[in-house]
Amino acid sequence: MAAPNILKLMYRNVKVNVDPGTLIILIGLPAMYLVFFGFGFGSMLPTGGTTAYLTFLTPGIMSVQCLMAGTVGGGMLWADRRWGMLAQLLVGPFTRFQYLLGIMLTSLVFGLAGAFVMLIGAYLIIGSLQLTLWGALTVFGFIAIGSIFFGSLMLLIAGLVKSSNAYNSIQIFVLFVVNFASTVFYSFSTNLPLPIQVLFQANPLTYVANAARGGFSGTFPASDMWQVPLLVVETVVVLALATRVYVRSDISFV
Amino acid sequence: MVLQQRESLQISGDSTEQVITIENLKHTYDGKYFALNDLSLSIRKGEVFGLLGKNGAGKTTLIKALTTLIRPTSGKLSILGMDPAHDGKEIRRRIGVVQQGESFEFTTVEGNFDIYGVLWSVPKKVRLQRREELIKMFDLQGVRKQRYFDLSGGQKRRVQVAREMMHDMDILFLDEPTTGLDVFMRRALLDSIKREVRQGLTVVFTTHNLEEADYFCDRIAVIDQGKILAMDTVENLKRLYGGKKTIEVTLSGGDATAFFAELEEKLSGSEIKVEGSSAIILAEDPKEALQRIVELSQSTGVQVEWLNVRKNTLEDVFIGSVSRNEEE
Repeated sequence: MAAPNILKLMYRNVKVNVDPGTLIILIGLPAMYLVFFGFGFGSMLPTGGTTAYLTFLTPGIMSVQCLMAGTVGGGMLWADRRWGMLAQLLVGPFTRFQYLLGIMLTSLVFGLAGAFVMLIGAYLIIGSLQLTLWGALTVFGFIAIGSIFFGSLMLLIAGLVKSSNAYNSIQIFVLFVVNFASTVFYSFSTNLPLPIQVLFQANPLTYVANAARGGFSGTFPASDMWQVPLLVVETVVVLALATRVYVRSDISFV
Repeated sequence: MVLQQRESLQISGDSTEQVITIENLKHTYDGKYFALNDLSLSIRKGEVFGLLGKNGAGKTTLIKALTTLIRPTSGKLSILGMDPAHDGKEIRRRIGVVQQGESFEFTTVEGNFDIYGVLWSVPKKVRLQRREELIKMFDLQGVRKQRYFDLSGGQKRRVQVAREMMHDMDILFLDEPTTGLDVFMRRALLDSIKREVRQGLTVVFTTHNLEEADYFCDRIAVIDQGKILAMDTVENLKRLYGGKKTIEVTLSGGDATAFFAELEEKLSGSEIKVEGSSAIILAEDPKEALQRIVELSQSTGVQVEWLNVRKNTLEDVFIGSVSRNEEE
């Protein structure tokens, strides 16, 4: 029996995108964050040192994977447009929606696989990590939702911009802002300037990182509970927008 | 051979069955200019149908409409008895498309074939067999492990065309498929597709190469500004639209301009295009034209250095019909 179209498209996306360049973006960059930031910032901490900071950083770096996977997803759409495969696939036995879901599913797989690699990397560096089965389900569940959110966001951007240069510039900007205006590398503080506080609180990566930390520690602060439904709602909205833009977009210029 | 493995996806049908019908098709991208302008035609099963036209004539837009990539502004379309507006996915399952632009995966030549086979649900055994046959047929053995970026333009094009043959289909759309191919590969490609046509495949083909269209197509439509200017078998088109015979003449040793001016006066109904000491004469009556040339040469002392009378070509049909349309 033939595999469903979405799985066939995902197979194709994985096969085409598992190359050294993609792996460097997907795994190399977060791994470097883990090592350099972990040891760099960790050594400056007055108590706990490197181990304490790496333990704090690990759920954050795992969360970064959903952003990295999202950028790979947006990049896939642009590469397919640029090299003619989008139009070629759309004259194949697939719907536009299936093509979109194929990319989303690929982002999800990349996000989860990348997070798992980061988990193993952190374990090898720190020497021990405490994560229960329920905690792991929470961590990976939120990374999955985050991957769909950022995958949709990057597809939305890729669907709106008209040049690969513009897409790349926006992607770098988004990566920088979303990574560093989040609780991935440091905790949220009311001492921050108000605009940065707002950015932190509005950033879905903050929600994923907080939830992942909750998964590791086994406790989820009541003050952060509002972030969970908001992340789900934002994901649904961005996915719907990306679908709408993409399904209605004119690809005849390809 | 690949041919023995292939199956038409169509359950029944004969050679008079129309697999594509288009009625009053219009399409505009900007709401002002119509890339397709009230175009109607039908294509029969097992036919190689050529679309000829200048750049921007509407050929690619027509292919895009037929392959469900764009939804026409108005008009009726039926492909394999289905309406693209409602049955797009089923239509796409039964067609193959080689688009004008490059399209490729960032992997090896073999990888391109494999991925395509998987996408089209070709069983693994058949997939591997077809891949090997196509790699051999399209002379890609030497580059099969190379990544697409490392290939020459012609090799890329061969991969693109060959890859499409991985799956079964009822209609194959070829939008300038031979661009960048050398003459041997071009002929090999057309011959391999002709073999498929004998098995019942219908081909819709666009090209700028008129010799190629002459060799390959059963029927041809000449398109300009989104309209069909002429449509018939190649032989009928040559007879109907290329009615005048072409005489090429080059003079030496005298006033060529005066010679051709006098010749034009004597040949009513013929057209003479002069370029220096040479001219192309489109003559209603080639015998009379030749006689006049000889007489003039004797009376004026201008020597005829080179003289050639040739059969009408598709190029004559194409240029004739498009020029006539532009004049109107």
